[in-house]
Amino acid sequence: MQMMVLTVSLVLMAVVALIFVAAVRSAGIEQAPANTDRNRTFLIYGMLIVGVVVTAGSLRQWPHAISSSTETVQVNATGYQWYWELDKEEVPIGKSVIFNVHTKDATHGLGVIDPNGRLLFQTQAMPGYVNQVEYIFSEPGKHQILCMEFCGIGHHDMTSEFNVVAK
Amino acid sequence: MSDTKLAPQSGAIKLTMLLAGVVFLLMMLLGLVMRAAQGGLIEVDPTLFYQILTAHGAGMVGTAALTGAAILWYFVGRYVPLVAGIYWAFLGLFLLGVVLILGSIFIGGFGGGWTFLYPLPAMSGGAWQVTAAAGFFLGYIAIGVGFLLFYLEIGRKLISTYGGISGALAWPLAFGNGKVEDAPPPTIVAAMATTVFNTIGIVVGAAVLVCSLVNLYFPSFVVDALLAKNMIFFFGHVFINASIYMAVIAVYEIIPEYTGRPWKTSRVFAIAWSLVLLFVMAVYPHHMMQDTVMPAWALVMGQIVSYLSGIPLLAVTAFSLCVYLRGSKMRWDLASSLLVLGVAGWSVGSVPAILDGMISVNKVMHNTQWVPGHFHIYLILGEVAMAFGFMAWLVKEANKVELSNLDRAGLTIYILGGAGFTIMFLISSALSVPRRWAVHLEQWMLQDQIATGFGALVVLGALIFVVRYVHVSGDTTN
Repeated sequence: MQMMVLTVSLVLMAVVALIFVAAVRSAGIEQAPANTDRNRTFLIYGMLIVGVVVTAGSLRQWPHAISSSTETVQVNATGYQWYWELDKEEVPIGKSVIFNVHTKDATHGLGVIDPNGRLLFQTQAMPGYVNQVEYIFSEPGKHQILCMEFCGIGHHDMTSEFNVVAK
Repeated sequence: MSDTKLAPQSGAIKLTMLLAGVVFLLMMLLGLVMRAAQGGLIEVDPTLFYQILTAHGAGMVGTAALTGAAILWYFVGRYVPLVAGIYWAFLGLFLLGVVLILGSIFIGGFGGGWTFLYPLPAMSGGAWQVTAAAGFFLGYIAIGVGFLLFYLEIGRKLISTYGGISGALAWPLAFGNGKVEDAPPPTIVAAMATTVFNTIGIVVGAAVLVCSLVNLYFPSFVVDALLAKNMIFFFGHVFINASIYMAVIAVYEIIPEYTGRPWKTSRVFAIAWSLVLLFVMAVYPHHMMQDTVMPAWALVMGQIVSYLSGIPLLAVTAFSLCVYLRGSKMRWDLASSLLVLGVAGWSVGSVPAILDGMISVNKVMHNTQWVPGHFHIYLILGEVAMAFGFMAWLVKEANKVELSNLDRAGLTIYILGGAGFTIMFLISSALSVPRRWAVHLEQWMLQDQIATGFGALVVLGALIFVVRYVHVSGDTTN
């Protein structure tokens, strides 16, 4: 997902930048008057149509959906300045795992990194609340937890790990 | 443009921009230190790193807002008389706030981040005392009071001159039978909209600051953390966006001097600014997409409004500027180049911002280096470029339009450095590097080191702009 987002972003950023470069280069050159209002209307409607399609496509399945099945594995993760406490050291591969994320002090962020160093998902640890996130692991091995919300001078030290195992 | 080219309090504005230029440079140097430390090029103790992080964030946001406010004041003064004393009070309170903030950070040791996310300021783990956090809050409050005074003066003058808030927002043209020739100029529409939304943002910010301040001394006074976070991000989002929306007034006022075509309030322009007024305030839940306890409708609103916010920017401001440029007799100097760059950078920066505003993308990009990536594009190549452009225009000799070799060098260095510096953030994010970490893993350091090189170019470019401003100001004065 990350590389796709980066590629899409860089391409669209380049397109916007090139439109400005073209406008700057055309300054001072005699041109036939363009139909500005019509072009602007096309642009607005075009953006609206793309927006509707992207919104519907990306929200059709709610990204924060939590399964109500009893077949899930529950993990309670609690953030402290500056360490994590997990009530499980191992979770199974191919099965829904629900992380119930708490904090006992400041706000933290629970981010899970796979064995290849790729961020799989994250959620915030908010004082007085339990944020939930569900994920099905597809790769076995040691997964790291990083703190994803600035929480003071030990923020970068706030890491932990757990194993994803085949069962 | 106005028939009466007043130059209200131009001395105060020139002084403000000098101070802002110097502070921008210092804050950029702090940013460079952080990237070099993350890249392992220098050693910075993590405690000091987080103090620098706090100073850099507060300093850049505050200075961006200061330059936006100076631009707004200067150009609104062309249309309505403004009381000079209010501006001096605003500037004085701003400087008082700066002293309190710097003291709390570098003497008191406060390192809770510019966003002062509740309850972190009260939970330092021994890194700072309550008084340091209180000093930081009081610094913000002083600056906020100054801004409220500023907007009170702007608001009351616009309301009395242009027939109320709706008149100043050109609603008769946007939603009624009003005529283009009767509509207020673009500067007034932009000033009225930013006055409304930034006043609301600052009042919400002040409320959560006061609650956090009470909590410091009376820990039994507990604030709901989710409510506090909503209020902080509402304030923070509105405040930093206001700085760009104020700075773009310089484009409306100055670019027509170079193209020879006036920038007028059209119906689409008026509607766009009313939408901006709404969107800037409604979009902030995109900062809270990983707080899954938030109501789903708020997160959906955050995603949809993030996307919609791009339409007034790209289809109105950017589109109109490109139309103004095409085929015009545009003349280029440092001021006009930087102002056009500012709109281009702002537009380019909206792309990664919109992508990160999608909940599913945010799940893997939130609080990675994607976030500083997109907002550094907004700032370095957007708001700050506009501010430097305004500075160059302020000191330029009448009727002299030329791009010297030094100007070209400064521009090239600044654009190259800014593009490279910000793209390295985006690449680091795609490689899952979190933001705001004092110490980076070895496998992340190469991008940090490359970014440090590009960052040095940004500082060099900015140094050329500031030194040139001081030098030319001196020549003009003599």
